[in-house]
Amino acid sequence: MNSRLAWYLIAVCSVIATVLWLTGLGITAMDILVPASASEAGGTEETRTAPVATPLEQAEEIRLLALGDSLTKGTGDETGQGYVHRLAEGLKSRYGKPVSMLGNLAVNGMTATELSERLEQDEIVQNTVRQANLIVFSIGGNDLFLSARAKWNGRQLKAVSVDELTGDLEEAAGRFRSITSRLHALNPNATVVYMGLYNPFFDIDELRDASLKIQLWNKQAYGALHEFPLMRMAPTFDLFEDRIIERLSSDHFHPNGDGYEKIASRMLDAL
Amino acid sequence: MQETVLSVQNLSKKINGKTIVDDVSFELRAGEILGFLGPNGAGKTTTIRMLVDLIKPTSGTVTICGKPVQREPEQALRHVGSIVENPEMYGYMTGWQNLEHFARMQDGIDEARIREVTSIVKLQDRIHDKVKTYSLGMRQRLGIAQALLGRPKLLILDEPTNGLDPKGIKELRTFIRQLAQEGLCLLVSSHLLSEVQLLCDRFVIIHGGKVAAAGTVEQLIRSAGNQVLWQFEHGEDGIRELLKDSRIQLIERIDYGDAAAQPAAKAVTAMSEELIPETVARLAAGGVRIHGVCKAEPTLEEMFLTMTESETIA
Amino acid sequence: MLRLAALIQNEAMKLWLKKRFLVIVLILLILIPVFTYAQHKMVKNNREHFADWRNQTLQQIADIENTLSSDRIPEEWKKGRRIAVQQLRYYLEHDINPSEPSGVQFTREFLGNAITLFIPMLVLAIGSDIVSGERTAGTIKMLLTRPVRRWKILLAKLLALTLYVSLTIAVTVILCYLISGFVFGYGGFGAPVLTGFRLQGGTVDAQAVHAIPQWRFLLMQAGLCWFASMIVAILGLMVSVLVRSTAASMVTMMAAIIAGSILSSMSSTWTSAKYLFSVNLKLTGYLDGSPPPIEGMTLPFSVAVLSVWGAASLAVSFRVFTKGDILN
Repeated sequence: MNSRLAWYLIAVCSVIATVLWLTGLGITAMDILVPASASEAGGTEETRTAPVATPLEQAEEIRLLALGDSLTKGTGDETGQGYVHRLAEGLKSRYGKPVSMLGNLAVNGMTATELSERLEQDEIVQNTVRQANLIVFSIGGNDLFLSARAKWNGRQLKAVSVDELTGDLEEAAGRFRSITSRLHALNPNATVVYMGLYNPFFDIDELRDASLKIQLWNKQAYGALHEFPLMRMAPTFDLFEDRIIERLSSDHFHPNGDGYEKIASRMLDAL
Repeated sequence: MQETVLSVQNLSKKINGKTIVDDVSFELRAGEILGFLGPNGAGKTTTIRMLVDLIKPTSGTVTICGKPVQREPEQALRHVGSIVENPEMYGYMTGWQNLEHFARMQDGIDEARIREVTSIVKLQDRIHDKVKTYSLGMRQRLGIAQALLGRPKLLILDEPTNGLDPKGIKELRTFIRQLAQEGLCLLVSSHLLSEVQLLCDRFVIIHGGKVAAAGTVEQLIRSAGNQVLWQFEHGEDGIRELLKDSRIQLIERIDYGDAAAQPAAKAVTAMSEELIPETVARLAAGGVRIHGVCKAEPTLEEMFLTMTESETIA
Repeated sequence: MLRLAALIQNEAMKLWLKKRFLVIVLILLILIPVFTYAQHKMVKNNREHFADWRNQTLQQIADIENTLSSDRIPEEWKKGRRIAVQQLRYYLEHDINPSEPSGVQFTREFLGNAITLFIPMLVLAIGSDIVSGERTAGTIKMLLTRPVRRWKILLAKLLALTLYVSLTIAVTVILCYLISGFVFGYGGFGAPVLTGFRLQGGTVDAQAVHAIPQWRFLLMQAGLCWFASMIVAILGLMVSVLVRSTAASMVTMMAAIIAGSILSSMSSTWTSAKYLFSVNLKLTGYLDGSPPPIEGMTLPFSVAVLSVWGAASLAVSFRVFTKGDILN
């Protein structure tokens, strides 16, 4: 009888399934009730196969890592690419090598202190730095402009003084130095490109002088980078002066797509 | 004395404070076909549902083959096959699968029995078709097949003729009679007396939730009393003269004939037939011109109608 | 006892012949390839952009951190994100890929996502008219005039429903594995998965965290899925007993479940919502350590809440079904 066969099939299959799922429930209960027996985490004992980074020129592929703040993240770019993706595209066509992104680990609002701490303490980030043969980063903007931006958002820009704007320049420069030496210690073979700072308030008369301070910062940064032969700086200040409206996004701080495009080509030139 | 198959005692049901069935009692003995009559809304279906444990009575008991339905439904319902209202079966299954389904709900029904009931209701040709393709008559037959599966002693059919064409009704009657001859005891409900009048041995007429009358056809008619039909040349005078005797009640008066003078009339009266000779003599002496006198026995139908209608008006 | 088996057979065959299960298999056959394709696209995209999963995971962490810096995002939500970051870091530190694409991994993800809405819907599609359907069709009059106690009939219906719940989950798992395995490979049974994350406030207590093979994780997930589905089935049974119309009983249950999933996604500050059944359905979330919809909810808590709901609705179902009059 056809329907009887169907019933036996349904019965057998579903009873097996029920037993199976009840077992699953049982295992779950055991897992929760007897956590002590939990085996030590890290099931696989495979040794980490972090490929040794080879210098950019000899490498089969470009392993690109981006670090830093919102400028590296690409904030303000309406296409969402930022300079990092544009740079990767440029590298691909220039060298004809595959470019693999190890990651864009930039975080909005990151300060030099935070980046330096991360490079000191975070093993995972350290490992990634070791794998890269090209590292691009931007930092310092948040250290220098944080108070100004807060006031900009509060429409109180008039209250910002140039001195306040670049208050703890010295301290931040010290952090920057530790970042570069840390990068070198972790991966002496990697080419490093730092994106220099620009003055986003160039069009505001009271803050036009901030450019001088920024140049001071860029000079300090260049000094730190200069110690290591594979580290470069891509200056960007000249890209934005008098072109604030064209190349900055609506927040009057971050570049727009056009601005990032220019930064990317500068970086490409720096290599 | 025959064995009592179904015994209903003082059955009442209140739903939301409204009494639907009020103190209904009757019995059904082996080999009987009982007509359960009443207009729509009289409480027939509610009563039948209480018989088969679909509804719990507010008070009273139903006993089938000595087992109380409410307390021992498994024992009691074993002896009952029923179709309550329409014979609704699972449309997405074949007739055979439906019968198998209900067979599994009771002990001792094998495939042979399913085949047997299928042939009793003459559904062999279509039994493996899906029920949703069946006509109403076929569904009715499948319902009866299902009811017969468990070799019941009592078969309850609620409005079995509903929706059947005259041919179907005739077939059903023949079929029910045949079942009764085989010793089955039936309770057939209907709101149309004519459909079951020829079928049933006894009737219970229910109205407004109460038993209005019960008994065989003869008993019912006798209880309704005799009627005599008079025909007078001058209706007005004749009837006035006739009603001088207080033992005679006028039921109906029908005028006819030429209305120019005093119209002729027929009068239907309730009176005992012993009174006829002396009344004729009395009227003749009073100068009433009698055109005809005849004894009229009401049909059960008429009785049923007057009984249920009058109470509706009251 | 033999009679009960026959009654279960009746109910199971009715569900079978109504072709409900077939519909479910069809739905799965259509949906799983769609999801597989979506997942395949994602995996392909990640392969193009990242050297290996570690970079990808690191990027994931960075992306989450970026969303954390936004003031627009509510604090509650950030808490969940921070937990996710901690878990991802834990995976990285222990060099375990949280989402190595394979048939088993896809199945695991699918089950985890399907437990709150999709599988309950399938279960309701099978069972929400199990009693009300008989009322609508009038067959209940035939069913209940047979010499069988009503509680046995309802129990048979419940057990038949249990069988189909088990089958539904089995078919989901099998189809997921077979279809996605075609794309991602049929391996991944032994891949380690971390479980046992305990959440305390906004941080992850990693003390009890341990790796288990993926098949075991999948089995645990399926077990929890089965439990959640059974509760849904039992509630559906109750609604089916209480509500006369099939459509109404289906809609009632769906509304309850969807309301629950909306409530849980709102990371509600209304903490009493944790006693609602549908907020507790995402049992698998406790295994992979995703933050609960409302703080303080744990797996034993959710299981207890669901059990209470289940027990209460069973009590109501049996009470009403055995005592109620069949009037229509």
